[in-house]
Amino acid sequence: MKKRSLVFIVLILTTIFFSACKPKVKQVPPTPPPQVKEQPKVEKVEPPKETAKRPLTEEEIFMSQSLEEANKAGYLKMIHFDFDKYNIRDDMKPILAQNAAWLKKFQSVKILIEGHCDERGTEEYNLALGERRAKSTFDYLVSLGISPDRMKIISYGKSQPLDPGHNEEAWAKNRRAQFTIIEK
Amino acid sequence: MKRSAKIAIIFFGYFLIALILLTNNLVPQQEVVLKITEGVPAISLALPKFIIHSDNNECQQAASEIYEVLSADLKYSRVFQLLPQSYYSYIRPLDPKNIFFKDWESIQARVLVVGEISGNSENLIFEAKLYDVRSAKFIVGRKYQGNQASRREMAHRLANEIMKAFGEKPIFTSKIVFVSDRDGNDELYLMDYDGANQIRLTFNRVRDYMPAIAPDAQKIAFTSYRETVAGLYLMDLTKKKIIPISTNGTNFAAAFSPDGKKLAFCSTMDGNAEIYVATLGENGIQSVKRLTFNEAIDTAPCFSPTGREIAFVSDRGGTPQIYIMDAEGSNVRRVSFGGTYHDAPAWSPDGERIVYVSRLDNIFDLYVLNLRTNQIIKLTESNARHESPCWSPDGRHIVFSSNLSGQIQIFSIDYDGTNLRRLTSQGNNKLPDWSN
Repeated sequence: MKKRSLVFIVLILTTIFFSACKPKVKQVPPTPPPQVKEQPKVEKVEPPKETAKRPLTEEEIFMSQSLEEANKAGYLKMIHFDFDKYNIRDDMKPILAQNAAWLKKFQSVKILIEGHCDERGTEEYNLALGERRAKSTFDYLVSLGISPDRMKIISYGKSQPLDPGHNEEAWAKNRRAQFTIIEK
Repeated sequence: MKRSAKIAIIFFGYFLIALILLTNNLVPQQEVVLKITEGVPAISLALPKFIIHSDNNECQQAASEIYEVLSADLKYSRVFQLLPQSYYSYIRPLDPKNIFFKDWESIQARVLVVGEISGNSENLIFEAKLYDVRSAKFIVGRKYQGNQASRREMAHRLANEIMKAFGEKPIFTSKIVFVSDRDGNDELYLMDYDGANQIRLTFNRVRDYMPAIAPDAQKIAFTSYRETVAGLYLMDLTKKKIIPISTNGTNFAAAFSPDGKKLAFCSTMDGNAEIYVATLGENGIQSVKRLTFNEAIDTAPCFSPTGREIAFVSDRGGTPQIYIMDAEGSNVRRVSFGGTYHDAPAWSPDGERIVYVSRLDNIFDLYVLNLRTNQIIKLTESNARHESPCWSPDGRHIVFSSNLSGQIQIFSIDYDGTNLRRLTSQGNNKLPDWSN
């Protein structure tokens, strides 16, 4: 009898012990709800963002960017040239007109015009040809009313190909004048 | 019989030389250039294995390395022809104290080089003597002392002495400067004439380009893209210092005068690609003079070996062609014809020839123009782009860059189009220039 009652007591004690443990486990779940409550707060932050976007003009975005970011954004589009040539192609003139319009909008911007060539010219002559391409681009932008003081030119010859390929498509891409914003 | 025939040939040779000298004297104002080595069989040279006075293993290794480098130099020279090793087994072994010259004559050696090596890796002694076999006479001797690192240098210096003994311009300690992108971006590098000891000269993140090495190999002029300007700079290798030469416009294609005192280059400082000459002083430039004045592109200048004329490229006639002008900019005349795209002229050290690049479709080959005869030789027949040729100091070899093996690498070729060899392998390597 005593043994039975002892076993009974032990049983009760163990159940009490485990039941005492269980509530502790149950106490953990109540903590998540506050987390759930916090999440909506984050969602509430979003509306002010939307309102902030509206007043940001193109100019403000540009001014907030670093030179590197601005150059990555590609405000000024590059132009391409014919083989061995440095004259501005008719199909490239609208691109330069767009670039000129952008430059007129951002009067403080100064740019570097880089002239590039494809690999089918020799190193020495290509450096001079690249300079010519940069110069004719420069002259065309001046004719569109951009101050020469805002532009500098440099030639890379064929040392910086855009496309490392060795076919007509790659060469056409590599014969180019591209623009880098150096001051704003 | 054979001997008398040889004597007859020698006499005939003397007669010919006398004749050439005589006819040359009759024509005034013509430079006398005797090129009797070209087309004449090379001098047969015996180079038996060196005698090693040491059991030291490093000493043995040094002996074999010096032997290899010296053999390669002499083979490359086009002046000497090494006797096959197998011939040496037909005669008595070499005793440097008692040389049987008749033995060496019997295997058709004209010149004998006897080398002896002693010491250890830290204190290596290499002694060499040059003998004329037929007369059994000592010509020249040298003793070099160095360590493990100076093995190649010892071999090159001896090869130079052997060349000098025969009245030839030594080339084996000359250097080649070039551009490589092996470490990421284009930087300047320097190597021995044979492609060994390639060392980096510039360490920065900008593009360093189109170097020219001074005749004494102590100064290098080059284009460096710093910020928004491609300026021309001068690096002094002994003083370890770089000074600007021209930083207005795009500046490139520098070339030293033969005395190293002037630097011709192309610049757009006045708006158009024109040729300028800077006079170099102790601490930088003394003056800059503009030589060309027209609306066309004028570029790639190169001094004649006398320094009195400059070869250059201009597209004033519609396409890029080679022109020559006096060093003051006057008396311009076109010298390249028959093609639509010629560039990168380099004047040979004897003043007689100009090597240049000619483009046909998408192929660039090297051509040699003989200014005396107006003959043009097509030096290479490739399916690639050979570029930026430059002569060796003795005018027997030409270094250039090419995409012959895929990437752009530096090669050398002999004046007659033979013996093509590749000097570089890491990354892209281009724009070589050979010192004097």
